[in-house]
Amino acid sequence: MSSGLSYRPTTLRHAFLLQMRVIWALMMREIHTRFGRENIGFLWVIGEPILFCSGVAIMWTAIRPPHEHGLPITAIVITGYVPLTMWRHSIQRSVKAYEANGSLLFHRQVTPLDIIVARWALEVLGTLMAGLLVGSGAILGGYMKPPLHWGILYAGLGFHAMFCLATALIFAALTEMSETVEKIVGIATYLSLPFSGAFSMVAWLPQKDRWAMLCAPSVENMEMIREGQFGSTAHPIYDINYDFWATLTLLLIGIYLTLRVRRHIVVQ
Amino acid sequence: MLRCIDICKDYHIPGKGPRRVLDRVNFQLERGQKLGVLGRNGAGKSTLIRILGGVDLATSGRVERTMSISWPLAFTGAFQGSLSGLDNLRFICRIYNLDYTNTRAFVDDFAELGKQLGEPVKTYSSGMRARLAFALSISINFDCYLIDEVVMVGDARFTQRCQDELFVQKKDRALVIVSHSMDFIRDVCDRGGVIHDRKLHLCGDVSEAINEYEALNR
Repeated sequence: MSSGLSYRPTTLRHAFLLQMRVIWALMMREIHTRFGRENIGFLWVIGEPILFCSGVAIMWTAIRPPHEHGLPITAIVITGYVPLTMWRHSIQRSVKAYEANGSLLFHRQVTPLDIIVARWALEVLGTLMAGLLVGSGAILGGYMKPPLHWGILYAGLGFHAMFCLATALIFAALTEMSETVEKIVGIATYLSLPFSGAFSMVAWLPQKDRWAMLCAPSVENMEMIREGQFGSTAHPIYDINYDFWATLTLLLIGIYLTLRVRRHIVVQ
Repeated sequence: MLRCIDICKDYHIPGKGPRRVLDRVNFQLERGQKLGVLGRNGAGKSTLIRILGGVDLATSGRVERTMSISWPLAFTGAFQGSLSGLDNLRFICRIYNLDYTNTRAFVDDFAELGKQLGEPVKTYSSGMRARLAFALSISINFDCYLIDEVVMVGDARFTQRCQDELFVQKKDRALVIVSHSMDFIRDVCDRGGVIHDRKLHLCGDVSEAINEYEALNR
């Protein structure tokens, strides 16, 4: 019986199903809290990132030269802003998430990990769907060509989603544990924008400076996404092996902190 | 069975370091037993209930649960204030795997909130909140209910219905009630205890606990 009642999940499968149900419930709850039930409601999950991505894409297409380092500007903006929005929203939604959702921890099957996974999943789904719509619009409008290699595009997005989850877990835990961290999150994410890889390609930099960019998993992911879009003409530089281990390490740190954070959460 | 083993709880007071609220609390509750815990304001009654329910974590010691235990039914918590009663109900149905239609019908009937069920929970009075919390938890078949005062705030009719539910329909369920209302505990519980000076003193029966509590207040 897979009821939420039993005091202890009997099997791994049972425990997994229970957690899936909790995450789903948290996502629905999040949609209702944030977007209400009036007018287009839950469509804002996609609407917000669409407005952001399409707004930036239109502005850059209008004011910038049509090509940058030989690459079409609209496609650069869309392949950069969709993952960037995914990351920034994941971080924003995870800061002080435990304080906002404290009352849910009254129910023992709801854990801090579920809270962040639910918020993250919503942001990832929202930005991916927004990216799909904005990209399709740009392709149909003739501002952009369809991606060349879908495989590496998916791989880049997949890695990036995991990177977003890892950083969301880390920031959610650290902002709960320390007020100083909470205060500096905004400026830190802003200052790290050049290292997101959203606005540039590693190949545009002089050889001796490239290593600094390539330390950031986010840059590696964007290089993969852009290889998917442009193929080898973009001269993408990345190391999947490094990206895998770096992201996994961040994810493990995030999970470790999340398991430790429960004592710091004051449930109202 | 619900068992507390050497539960200690410290709260951190900024500038003053830790302050101990509960010190080595031990007890065991079997299915169907009803324990009433008395104590003065600030004695640590709510803290104990929250630790039993897993809302707060004990500083040391552990809680063993081999029966399903409700969340602490109290004035606060368990609901998201900005959401309507119905959205909260939907959330609880999802995480406890309950059928929405049946649960809603039950809650409608029991809590008698009418149209208010569609309004945000933060607009509810404490009595209405108690009715919603109680109706929802009753619709889930827990083996043991944790009750922090909340039953005592309703009007006479609600109190009567709670008693019917807890002591007639579900009389085989275990119960932990904390309160400083002796009458309710006398009517309901078969075991009693008093929290005083960070310790839980378990008494043989309820009247003994009430005597001990009255001695404290003298």
